[in-house]
Order: sequence, then C-alpha cells, then structure tokens
Amino acid sequence: MNNTQPIIKLEKITKSFSGNVVLNNIDFDLYPGEVHCLVGENGSGKSTMIKIISGAYQADSGKITYLGKTYVHLTPRWAKENGINTIYQEIDLVPSLNVAQNISLGSETINRWGNIDRNFIVKKSKDILDDMGMEIDLTIPVGNQKIAHQQMVGIAKALWLKSRVIILDEPTAVFARSEINSLFEIIRRLKKQGIAILYISHHLEEVFEIGNRVTVLRDGNLVRSGKIDEFDKSSLVKAMVGREIDLSRKKGRACVNSNELFRVEKLIRKDVIKDISFSINCGEIVGVAGLVGAGRTEMARCLVGVDHIDGGNFFLRGKKVRINSPNQALKMGIGMMPESRKEEGLVLERMMGENIAFSLVEKINKMGFVPWSKVKIRVKELISSINIRPSNPLIQVQFMSGGNQQKVVLAKLMAARCNLLIMDEPTRGVDVGARSTIYKLMQQLKADGKGILMISSDMPEILTQADRILIMAKGKIVGELSCKEATEEKILSYAFQLNRK
Amino acid sequence: MKLNKIFNLFRAFFSSNSPLVVLILMIILSSLIFPNFLTRLNICAIVKQYSIIGFLALGQLLVLITGGIDLSQGSMVAFTSIVVAVLMEPCGIFISVTVAIISSTFLGFINGFLVSRTKIPPFVVTLGMLSIVRGLALTISNTKPISINNDIFIQFGKETVFNVPLIFIVWIIASIILHLYINRRKMGCYIYATGGSEESARLSGVNVRRVKLFVYTLCAFLAAIGGVIWAARLRSGSPIGGSGYELESIAAVLVGGGSLFGGVGSILGTLAGVLTFGVINSSLNMAGISPYWQGTLKGIIIIIAVVISQIRLLRRDRN
Amino acid sequence: MSRTSFWQKFRELLSFENISLFRVTLIFLLMIFIAAVLSNGVFLQLENLLNIVKQNTILIIVSLGQLLVIIIAGIDLSVGSVLALSSVNFVIFQDFGLVPAICLSLLISLAIGFINGLLVTYGRLPAFVVTLASSLVVTSVAMVVSKGGTIKHSLSGIKLDDKISEFFKGSIFGVPYPVIIFIFILLIIEFFLRTRIGHFTYAVGGNEKAAIISGIPVNKVKIIIFMVASTLAGIGGVIFVLRVGLGNPQTGGNIPLDSIAAVSIGGASLAGGIGTVPGTIIGVFTLSTLSNILNILNVSPSLQYTFKGIVILMAVYLNSFKKE
Repeated sequence: MNNTQPIIKLEKITKSFSGNVVLNNIDFDLYPGEVHCLVGENGSGKSTMIKIISGAYQADSGKITYLGKTYVHLTPRWAKENGINTIYQEIDLVPSLNVAQNISLGSETINRWGNIDRNFIVKKSKDILDDMGMEIDLTIPVGNQKIAHQQMVGIAKALWLKSRVIILDEPTAVFARSEINSLFEIIRRLKKQGIAILYISHHLEEVFEIGNRVTVLRDGNLVRSGKIDEFDKSSLVKAMVGREIDLSRKKGRACVNSNELFRVEKLIRKDVIKDISFSINCGEIVGVAGLVGAGRTEMARCLVGVDHIDGGNFFLRGKKVRINSPNQALKMGIGMMPESRKEEGLVLERMMGENIAFSLVEKINKMGFVPWSKVKIRVKELISSINIRPSNPLIQVQFMSGGNQQKVVLAKLMAARCNLLIMDEPTRGVDVGARSTIYKLMQQLKADGKGILMISSDMPEILTQADRILIMAKGKIVGELSCKEATEEKILSYAFQLNRK
Repeated sequence: MKLNKIFNLFRAFFSSNSPLVVLILMIILSSLIFPNFLTRLNICAIVKQYSIIGFLALGQLLVLITGGIDLSQGSMVAFTSIVVAVLMEPCGIFISVTVAIISSTFLGFINGFLVSRTKIPPFVVTLGMLSIVRGLALTISNTKPISINNDIFIQFGKETVFNVPLIFIVWIIASIILHLYINRRKMGCYIYATGGSEESARLSGVNVRRVKLFVYTLCAFLAAIGGVIWAARLRSGSPIGGSGYELESIAAVLVGGGSLFGGVGSILGTLAGVLTFGVINSSLNMAGISPYWQGTLKGIIIIIAVVISQIRLLRRDRN
Repeated sequence: MSRTSFWQKFRELLSFENISLFRVTLIFLLMIFIAAVLSNGVFLQLENLLNIVKQNTILIIVSLGQLLVIIIAGIDLSVGSVLALSSVNFVIFQDFGLVPAICLSLLISLAIGFINGLLVTYGRLPAFVVTLASSLVVTSVAMVVSKGGTIKHSLSGIKLDDKISEFFKGSIFGVPYPVIIFIFILLIIEFFLRTRIGHFTYAVGGNEKAAIISGIPVNKVKIIIFMVASTLAGIGGVIFVLRVGLGNPQTGGNIPLDSIAAVSIGGASLAGGIGTVPGTIIGVFTLSTLSNILNILNVSPSLQYTFKGIVILMAVYLNSFKKE
C-alpha cells in the first residue's frame, strides 16, 4: 500500500487569525492507501489544518503539493473536483431528498435525452453502498435516517466522484460500537483502493485500531509524527501535553467554608448527558475540562434552562428548584456566559449599555416600569470597574474587540447580580490584556462569595484559576481533581478515558 | 399474507397521496349531500373556474418548493389580461398574446433577480411587485376594463373537446409536462434540493441563484397564461381582476401537500389541491353559505396546512 | 472640563440610531424641498401641512404598531383587516354607548393580536403566514357582519350620530383633534419602548438566541407586541369611523403595505432589532410628501401605486445591510 510519493504534502504551512497564530510552520504528508490520524487537544489547530487542505481556508504562507503539483491556495470547489473530499461533523445533506439523490447531488449523470439517468444513479449508489457494506433503503428521505447512516451517506457522496483523499472530522461522535465497526470496514476497503484517509478523532482507541500513522498537534505546532506502533496511549497523551505552566500563578485553593451554593443530582438528557452529579460551593471556582463532544456545553445549557432535561434534580442552597427557562434561572441568580458570544451572548446591533441592561432590567423593574436613571448609573459603574473600552455605553457592540465584547457579557451577569455564574470558554478569542482582566474579576467574584462554573479547553486557564476541576467525557463526569493535585497530563488522561478498563 | 401486502400497498398509496384521497372523499361527500353535484354542468363550471387558479398553482408550487413565495400572481393575471386586451384590436391574437406573456414573464424574472441577489425576503419582493404590477395594469388601462371582441379568442375560452373544456385539457397537459420536468431534469432535482437545504445544495455545487431565478420566471409565465385564459373567459381585460388569486393558489398548493418551508410538494398533489378547493367552493355555494365566509375558510385551511407541515418538519428533525 | 463634556455630549449624539435618524430626516427634508419648489410654496402653507397630518393620523398609529412587530423581526399583514373590522364593530356596538363601543372594538382587536402572537410563538409559524391567514379570516368576518357593504347603523338600527364626526373635525386651542390623538399615541409608544417589555423588543428581534439566554421571556414579549399592534390597528379603525362617518369592511387594503413602507423608510430593518418611533413618523410623512409630489407632477394614482412598490423595495433593500 505504500507508494513512494505522498499524495499530499504540506510544507511550512502557517495560518493566523486576528493576530493569533493557529498553525505554525507545519510540515505534513499523506500517502495513498494509508490512514493518517491527527490528534491534539481542542484548539491545537487540527480543524484549521484540514480546512486548509480542503480549501475552506487559505494559508498565510507555505505550500501544498498535491499529486506532484504545488499550490499556494486551494478552493473548496477545486478540491472537490480534484478528488479531495471532506466529511465534516455538520452533515451537508438535503434532508428531504432520498439517499441516491443526495449521493449524486450536483454531479448527476444524464442520459442521451438530457434527463437525469435515474436507473444509473440508483445502481451506482447501490454499488457504492454495497462496497461500503451498507444496507440502506435508497428511497427514504435522508432526513428520516439515523445520524450514523447519514454520516455514511456523506462518505458515499465523497465516493460518487473519484476521490483520492478523504478527510474525516470526528466521524464517530454519535456512533454506536457496531456502527464504528461498519465505518472501519469501509475505511479498510477504501485503503485497499489506494485512497488516502486523514482521520481526526479524540477517541484514542480508534486511532490505535484503524490508524497507520499518527501526527500530534499542540498549540499549532507539529509535536510528533510517526507510525502508530511507535506510540502507546500514554505517550500520545504526553505528546499532546507538555507546555510549561507557571505553577506559582495558581490561584486556586481548596474550599474551606462549605456553604453549598448549588447541587446537581443525576442530571440526564437523552443521548447527551448520562447521569451527572456534582455540587459547587459559595466562593468557589469549579473548572470543567473535557474534550469536544463530552457534553460540557450541553450540561451548561441544562443548568440555565435553555434545554429541557429528561431526569435529575437541582438544589439551590439546599432547596430543590426547577429551572425551566433562562428567565427563571436569572431570577434565581443563575446566569450563563455562552460559548459563542456573537451568536448567543450579545445583540450585536444594539449598544453596549442596552446589552448590559437586558439582564439587569429583568430584575430591577417594578410592575414593568424601569428606573432608567438607576440603570444608567449601574451600567456606567460596571463599565468602569470592568474597564471596558471604549467606555461609551452608546457604542454598538459589533464594533468592539472580542475581549471587550466578552467583558460586556460578563458585565451583564454582574449587573443581574448572579450568584452562580456559568462561563463557557470565557477567554476564547480574547486578547491577553482582556484575559487578565477577566481572571481578576473572576477571583474577585469568588472572594465575594459567588460560585463560578468554568467550562474551559484552555489548560493553563483551568489549572491556574480553578479551585477544583471536574473532567467530563461522553456525557459523564469521569474524574475530579483538586487544584493541588491537578496536572495537564492527569486531566487529559481522564478526558481521553485512559483509565477505563 | 397476500391480504397484508395489499393492505400495505394501500397504506403507502394513501399516505403519499393523501391530497388525492382528500379530494375523492370530498367529491363523494358532496355528491351524497347535494344531488346536483355530479352533473356535467356543475363539474364543467368548477373546472372552468379553477383552471386559471390551476395554472397559478403550478407556478406557485415550484416557488414554494424552493422555500419562497409569490404574492404577485394576481396582479400578473390582471396585467396580462390588460396587455392582451389593449393589443388585440390593432395587432391580432398572436402578437397580443405573445407580447403579454413575454412582458409578464419578464416581471417574474425581476422577482427572481431580486430574490436571488438581495437579502430581501421573497414575500417582501413579491409584495412590492404586487403593487408595482397592479399599478402598471391600472395605468395602461386607465383604471377601466377593456373589452375584447375577437371571436376566435373568445371561442378558445369556451371550446370543449369531447365535452371536456379545452382550458382544462391545456392545464392537464401543462401539469404533465411540468411533472416530467421536475422529476427528470437536473433543474427539477435542484429545485427540490434548494428548498430542502439551500446550504447543502450550494455546497454540493448547485447554482442556487439560477434555480431561484428560474422558478420565479416560470411562475410568472404560468400566471401569464392564466391571465390570457382569464381574458378569454371574461371577454375583457380587467385591471382589478385576479385580486387574491395568489392566496388561492398558495392554499391549493398547501392542501396538495406542499409546504411553506420548502422541499416538498408534487404536481399531482397540487392538482388534487386545486380541485379540492373547487369542490369545497361549489359545495359551499350549493349549501347557500355566504361567499363572505370563504375568506375565513381559506385562512383556516392555510393555518392548518402550515401547522401540519411544521409538525412533519419537527418530527423529522427529532430523528 | 467643559471641553470634555462637550465632546461627550457630541459622542452621545452620534449613537448609531441618531445617525440613522439623521439620514432619514435628510431624505424627508429633501422631499419637502422638492414639494415646496414644485408647488411654488403652496405646499408649505399651514393649512396644507395640517391637512397632511390629519390625513396621516391613522397611518401613523398603525405604522407604530407595525414598527414594534418589525423590530421583533416579524411582520403584521393583518393590520388592515383588523382596522376594517374595528370600524364595523364600532358602528354596530353604538347601542351600548360611545365608550363601551370603543372598548369592545379594541378588545376584539386585542384578541386577534393575541391569537396572532400565540400562533407565531407556540405554534412556531412564520409571522407573515399567520398574519396573512388571519387577515383573510378577519376580513371575511367583517364582511359577514356588515353584510358586504359599508355600515352606518348599529345592531338595533340606530343610525350613527352625525354629531360624532362633526365633533371630530373640531379642535382645541387650534390644534385639531386628530393631531392631539396622534401625539398622544406617539408619547404612549415612546413610553412603552422604555418599559421592560419595550426594552426587550430590541433584543428579541436583534438576536433571539441571545435574548433567551439573557433571561428575557421571549414568547411573552412577542405575544404582547402582536397584541399592541392589533390594538393600534383597532384604534385606527375607530378613528376611521370618526372621520368618515361609517364603518367599511373593505377599507384598509393599502394599510399593511403602506405601514411596512413607512417603517422601512424610517430606517427599520425587516431582519429585526433596529427601528425608532421618530423614524417611523418621518417615514409616514416622507411617503405622504412623495405622493404629494407625484400628484403635483400629475402622475396618475395608478402609477403612484407602482411607485410605492418600488419605494418599498428600495427602502427594504437599503436597510438589509444593517445586520450582518
């Protein structure tokens, strides 16, 4: 299966977004007939790298060699037409069309009268699916099929046109064991046909089961690369980790006063959360670590009432409560800073003052009338204490920098006097200066007796700010570490579930 | 065993062709209640009246499948009839009809252009066009209807072939052609794809812009034909005619299984939907119910149809 | 110190909404200028201006309701029919007295808005479909009640008091009643936008997901807004009767389109989250002045209809860039 020439070669690929270097001088190659796995933590640059190969992003510097020819930029259309197919997690099928129509969409075969050659399309689709070992009813709309099957149809679509390279981005996120087996069978057959496969996954067992070579990315750098036999699980994790963390910056301390602020018991949400129980005390910062897809954001959404729950109980200061909507949660003093501030945290066209006031107004109104003078004063107070720049409350939020936008979201929670703040990736896309301001505010809130649940994929952040760290995987809490004992390696080994039997 | 198979076949036929079933049931119901229902006179009347809506519904179906809507159809009917009426005397049948159809189709092209190239929602585009076209019709005709005296043309509206109205036959033929088209041609497949998931269609290489341009142009073309028929039947062009026709065509398409959310709908279902409305209309008239209640009925039917398609959508997404 | 506060004041003036208002006012002034020139100054006479205000009172009131619906990223196509039904109701309920008749008509309008809101929120149906369908139903009910024609007699046959419409043509301290009413409603709506629910409308329309997470009771807000819009349409219907002296089930056909045009010209975006009361009012008058200009230029009313459609499309198009 090894030809001497790689089918794709990346040389010194570098990519930055708004000043943050996301990929740094990456050299990478992919051979026909191999399964090359790409691993790394959240934010290590994996998805950026595959987007550069598939043409969705253009690299800032470096070159790509494909089938012997060298290019600086690729486009998605060109990539598709020339045999590079990517199957993302977001399924790009048309739910109302059936399987055969979806597989051939955009490249239908026409008969001599100019009509769509249905018979040929159905036959070829069936052949492809048979080759993949799949039995699917070709006539049902794709939207009615199981997600796992939809993913397979996505792969079949990549095979409709001749593919030389297939990129799979976390394909097994929603697969059951039997479906994973089917997928691997398909991959093995594709290998035999000489197709090169780039496989990204957090599930290390899969990497060892199906991979030929593996490459580890960390913080945008290629750390190690080699045949799969050269690694074992813990050496892989070690390669993903290993940055210098200044432990003297650790702010966390074990919680001494144990006034329980909030407790979750047996939280269940179908398919997503499988029994979570934990508690958080007043004046405590609890970090929640885990890989993408572990269910952290989903859990947060349940805690503030955005998503409904299928089972479990909440206790606020010992009293059982029901949280059915964010409105209810806010009235109880629970607020959330969502993962995507632009899509879920702020109304971009409105002014900063208005945005901060949205949560505040809900709490301080009397019979619907808002004491605006008080609101304005409070808003101005917050703006200056959080040091939001520019400090004019009339500026539209969309014109502010990411860091300041995040501060506005935080100001909202503080304005509403939340006692439990749930922060989902609080410093993602935030510059260094704003970052340290946000950390200072968090420590201050902690000192004031508030509780903070901090979901984060940023290792230094979790290790320095949290008093306690919970690690989630596959919808459950699989580990807990105190700030003293926590190290990056330990966190990751829980996250990758290495200690599972 | 065999009985089971037959039963399953029936069930499959019914569920995928429920508009047809509804139509048959309504016909049976009406003919039981009203002894005069199944007479040749009555059926001819229904068919002649609803053939025009029938043409509109065909065009509206295609637009709805792509997830859009066309509120300007009624105005196009009026506009076309006026152009035909104005040009009939000086230029004769052929030229007047051709010019009328071409100009209306061009207006539909503008609809398609605005929908595909700007962020203006389709219902606003066609709502604006409703005004624009209606105004044009009123201006050209000086707000007064224009009578048509061409006997050949008028005869076309009355002609029957083996006792079946010619207009109806033309409608059926158009339906067959469209049915073959959307099921056999690439563009037909792309129309469904655009409506089913515009983003996925675009990622798969479908030229979504061209699809939208096409359906709105075709829709206006069909509305123009409806306008020509209208002119023949009423022996005049009227600037205020056709008002509200687009709502009828939308309701007919929805009853026929189409959805405002796009992606679904069939020609057969639309035919059934149009005729169902014809039957309902006729029955209400026979029952002596005031025509004013029709608006309520239409409104409620639209709501129910949209709710049903919303439920179907939610059920599918839950998978 | 006074220099910094001056700059502060200046910066406050430059809020994006004020800039948008500035543009809208400019266009309006341009229209007025053209009208004044074309009419040799006749346009600017007090009598003419007062007339314009009187003629547009109803449109302003309804447009303010439409503004609220558009801010929450919806649209209300039923305002015309609700107005018509309200006019019919007001006449036929005269038996119960003037004030009860008004209250009853408004109550019915409120109920229609409530149903609209319910279908849009819990039914999760698109606003334009819901209000399109409800406009059909409401118009047909109005037709049935009034037996197809205009109506001057109440349920028990009492003819509408001519004194009422005369009274309405009067004025207090030289300010005509319609003007007083519209200023009153204007103030109420401005006030409404500063209440809790009013404040939330901008969030609900601007970014519904963010509004939900911020703890805003989104469904409640939407339902209330639809109710307000329909009630305002109902008030429009009552004023209609006061002006014209009868109820007409078929009036208000232009109102949905006109109100959307006015709101769009006034700077609101159909995508939601943006729009102001002063802007909408200026939009109404801009539309009216445009009609006046076309009249002076002897453009037929039919062609003006076409113009209106073009203006609406242009206004919506220009506003569609405000939201990314």
